[in-house]
Amino acid sequence: MRKLLLGVVLSATFGVSAHAQTQQELNRDGSGGSTDNVLTYGMGYHQQRYSPLRQITKSNVRRLVPVWTMSLANEFGEQGQPLVYNGVLYAANVKRVVAIDVGTGRQIWETPLEWDPAVARVVCCGLSNRGVALYDGKVFVASLDAHLRALDAKTGKEVWKTKVAEWKEGYSITSAPSVANGVVMTGMTGGEYGVRGFVAGYDPQTGKQLWRRYMTAGPGEKGHETWPKGDAYLRGGASTWITGSYDPELDLTYWGTSNGGPWGAVWRPGDNLWVASVVALRPKTGEMVWHYQWTPAETYDYDGNNENLLADITVDGQKRKVILHADRNGFLYVLDRATGKLIAGNAYVPVNWAKPRIDPATGRPEETEVAKRLRAGEKVELQPRWTGGKNWFPMAFNPNKQLLYFPVKHETAIYQVNKDLPSYKAGERYQGVTNTTKERTPDEAWGYYAAFDPLTAKRKWSVPQAEFPMWSGSLVTAGGLVFSGKLTGEFVAFDEDTGKELWKFQTGSGVNAQPITYTYKGRQYVTVLSGLGGGTSAKRETAGKVQPGGSVWTFALIE
Amino acid sequence: MKKLVLCSLLVCMCGVTYADSPETPAITPDQIKRGSGLYAQHCAPCHGPRMKDPEGSFDLRKFPRDEHERFVRSVTKGKNAMPPWGGLLQPAEIQALWAYVVAGEKN
Repeated sequence: MRKLLLGVVLSATFGVSAHAQTQQELNRDGSGGSTDNVLTYGMGYHQQRYSPLRQITKSNVRRLVPVWTMSLANEFGEQGQPLVYNGVLYAANVKRVVAIDVGTGRQIWETPLEWDPAVARVVCCGLSNRGVALYDGKVFVASLDAHLRALDAKTGKEVWKTKVAEWKEGYSITSAPSVANGVVMTGMTGGEYGVRGFVAGYDPQTGKQLWRRYMTAGPGEKGHETWPKGDAYLRGGASTWITGSYDPELDLTYWGTSNGGPWGAVWRPGDNLWVASVVALRPKTGEMVWHYQWTPAETYDYDGNNENLLADITVDGQKRKVILHADRNGFLYVLDRATGKLIAGNAYVPVNWAKPRIDPATGRPEETEVAKRLRAGEKVELQPRWTGGKNWFPMAFNPNKQLLYFPVKHETAIYQVNKDLPSYKAGERYQGVTNTTKERTPDEAWGYYAAFDPLTAKRKWSVPQAEFPMWSGSLVTAGGLVFSGKLTGEFVAFDEDTGKELWKFQTGSGVNAQPITYTYKGRQYVTVLSGLGGGTSAKRETAGKVQPGGSVWTFALIE
Repeated sequence: MKKLVLCSLLVCMCGVTYADSPETPAITPDQIKRGSGLYAQHCAPCHGPRMKDPEGSFDLRKFPRDEHERFVRSVTKGKNAMPPWGGLLQPAEIQALWAYVVAGEKN
């Protein structure tokens, strides 16, 4: 009996520890924690997407082969980053969350995410789910119809479900939640529908909302003076559709905000805080500690949501704790992450709306004649195109080399703000801009895959993407490899030092997701989701050439 | 605008009818104008401003003019990546969109 009791206690203890991620484990993910696990969006709260694993190297990567694949039965596209805990891989798309046995590639459980098909009316740019969060034995996931759920990590059964916002008013969620300092947080999207952006914090045990921090300054708040009189701030945009990073030491979480609503700034004169900005929040309370605005008086659809990657880099001989951010507006930023002060801001792609360097003394881009003509109502050729020098797909940073790796786009928009203010109707488009793409000549590259020095935005190497642009996240490893993907279906590994393509594998549909690497029974694995998705831009480039269809692919060196 | 009116007149003069839907009411210039506005608000973000540059979405300039019923069904109930619009747009509004698509835009 005593043995039985002991067994029960042991198995109960094991059961808990096998599925209960602690805050300490989350803090150490990607920062010295077990390489068996990938517990956070970005492979660490810093979102560096760097792995110290070096089993797969430049010299042996040609022996990298798939060990299993699994269908995700989804035609809307795969943009997610899976998480891994104790040999179980958790992946999500707009239709479902699945738990997969890493050793066999077999499904352990599936939980459908159901939503009214009409929700797609308020999702501007592709039906997407970028992943889940793990904490304390639960899997947290948001659904397109702006609900947040907690699932039991063992069974997939729903523990709680909370309505975050009303989709009929233009709100939806495409981002992965995040847990920081014991609070589960979610952003939202809807910047094309006249929403008021926010980040919200919830109790992970009950789903009770703890706080909601709006991203347009309301009456009585500092920053409200940057909005016109009246209630424009209520429809002012600033959605938060990419998961924030987190610095456990400073206890600050960093979220980017989207374009303003409507797109044309002429109808909301002023800088419009905190549109197209980064904000530093306390995860326990939502208190805003500082902000920095990437694009004041944003009128270009330059969402400022791209990831805020945390790094410790040497600036003028001194170690600095910084944020690295490549904005849609064409500038690569280095900010002090304790204060939000600008350290460097340089154009990383051709930029014509502002001068190519931001003066750290002012921290403010200097607009050009192009911007002035656009603001005066003229039709202009705008660089970058509204989709940005870089879009949402996250970059990777090697802390040892102090270099960033990501694909960039060199495209030009034909852009004009309409004469009439769009009438606001809840849940309908609220843009007021006519935008098309300037045709390329056949010899022009869509863009490049490049390695960047964050402080100068200079490229160490740059490989043209002639046939198609790239819309995939990146991963860099101590094995000297950079992994990314192509819309044409190839999952690729570049030489970190030269950009030379060393390996590729055709996954059957476009790769526009976020690769990860980890160990299983001592062996290095690489996993990526495949499935053409995203907005009209990616579709334009692949129409009739690449088929949709989601799947998970996991690779290892052939034994 | 002049081009749009001319185009509408041509459509009226030709007395367009549809093989699969003979009872479709005749298209009027007012419908085309209304459809143009609805298109700009709801459809242009995916199908392209003035039906040009449809990117990866269905190129409405190529929508078969004799498949009115298919158009109404697709808009109302959704098709592939397109969501259902029946909960937002009234039948008369969908008819106006059809009028605009049939009338077309000049380059």
